[in-house]
Amino acid sequence: MAPTTRTILICSGKGGVGKTTLTANLGIALGRQGIRTVVLDADFGLRNLDLLLGLENRIVYTAQEVLAESCRLDQALVKHKQEPNLALLPAGNPRMLEWLKPEDMQRIASMLAEQFDYVLIDCPAGIEDGFKNAVAAAKEAIVVTTPEVSAVRDADRVIGLLNTQGVSPIQLVLNRVRPKMMANQEMLAADDVTDILALPLLGLLLEDEQVIVSTNRGEPLTLTKSNSPAARGYANIARRLQGEDVPLMDPAKEGRGLRAKLWQLMQTKIF
Amino acid sequence: MELSKSELRRLTLPLFRQAHWRETLPATINEIGPGPAEIDCRDWQLGCRELVQLTTLMKEAGIEISRIYASLPETIVSANALGYPTHLNPEQTEASKPKVEKINPISNTKLLFHQGTLRSGDHLNAEGDVLLVGDVNPGARISAGGNVMVWGRLRGIAHAGQHGNKQATIVAMQLRPLQLRIADAVARGPEEQPQVGLAEEARLEGDTILINPATTNPLNN
Repeated sequence: MAPTTRTILICSGKGGVGKTTLTANLGIALGRQGIRTVVLDADFGLRNLDLLLGLENRIVYTAQEVLAESCRLDQALVKHKQEPNLALLPAGNPRMLEWLKPEDMQRIASMLAEQFDYVLIDCPAGIEDGFKNAVAAAKEAIVVTTPEVSAVRDADRVIGLLNTQGVSPIQLVLNRVRPKMMANQEMLAADDVTDILALPLLGLLLEDEQVIVSTNRGEPLTLTKSNSPAARGYANIARRLQGEDVPLMDPAKEGRGLRAKLWQLMQTKIF
Repeated sequence: MELSKSELRRLTLPLFRQAHWRETLPATINEIGPGPAEIDCRDWQLGCRELVQLTTLMKEAGIEISRIYASLPETIVSANALGYPTHLNPEQTEASKPKVEKINPISNTKLLFHQGTLRSGDHLNAEGDVLLVGDVNPGARISAGGNVMVWGRLRGIAHAGQHGNKQATIVAMQLRPLQLRIADAVARGPEEQPQVGLAEEARLEGDTILINPATTNPLNN
């Protein structure tokens, strides 16, 4: 087993804040850096990591068959078609929920750790059995939240649970930030969120329509040559995970940037 | 004399419907301290596996279990299987509640000290006073039979004097709770942001909870 393998749980508590999207994009971004990465879909009830990665039609075996020892691990792993460093271990059918135990997840995670440098676990929403199973397999965690009171509250609960399970370090990703609303104080500021959650901010991602487009296409943003704010954000998170010192984006500047540039352009042309 | 005194020490789990023993156990263990003690499992149905978890937590805290009490025969059977002396409680009903209130008078003056932030969903409960070094986040609860002192930001729910002590106070370095309760009185937290760097104190005057800058030591009154 590679002793340096990092097993990272990506969780949020609340649904729809961007766990799966982050897992998919982070997986691609890490793979692009030449790191052997596997994404593990622990959301057995409502699996869609395979959809986001555009690998749905390539799935033959799942984690279920691996656990039942009716196939080998490498038979179940689906290599990404454009990013060979990334593999997906798909979730089995939802009936797995009935018998899956934390020990089973630990077994899968340690099997994956032998072959990969990074194991990213896409955690289901909520804090019930699915969450508990996923936590058992993880050493580190990334908590995704949005600047909304409900999402922050749920994230706080999840962080408390992660702490009791001895998961460390836990880092924070603030997703779907709208700079304009933040500037007008219609949205929680990044400082407000980190103030409550008391976690280091691993990344800040702007609300971006391109994310929806890429999700529907099954091509994660980081795969395309897109220079959209979210694509840059995902790439930066991957670099920070690797220990690189990339400055956090300032949402206030990001919002003003384009307009300021235009304004400058106009000024130079007129005078 | 010493022996018979220590034999009376009893660690009581919360009622099944009130709270989960896993949440309250650290506080209870903290209060009772190391030494021999009896455990009252009350209406918890504990299997061997859970009972082992429970007893391991206690052994780690230096508590020697002398006897296990329970109201459910299932728990008694598990405890017997693990080799503990047991005793089946007489049927516990709502009427037996005053028994719960019969606390050792010493524990009323005891201070529960807790370090670390209470996150959403957490609940810290103390029989006497409680001192928390850390924050109480929105969605978390801190309650005490006596005073509540928070060396940090109080943004959740605080309940002081929960057994009816109207003299109890709530102090925090930054007091902006969702809700405050003292004895039977309930108040919503202030709408406006408090001054930064000014510790505040909530106390009961008549039927209303008033918040003032903290001036006195709450333990002095």
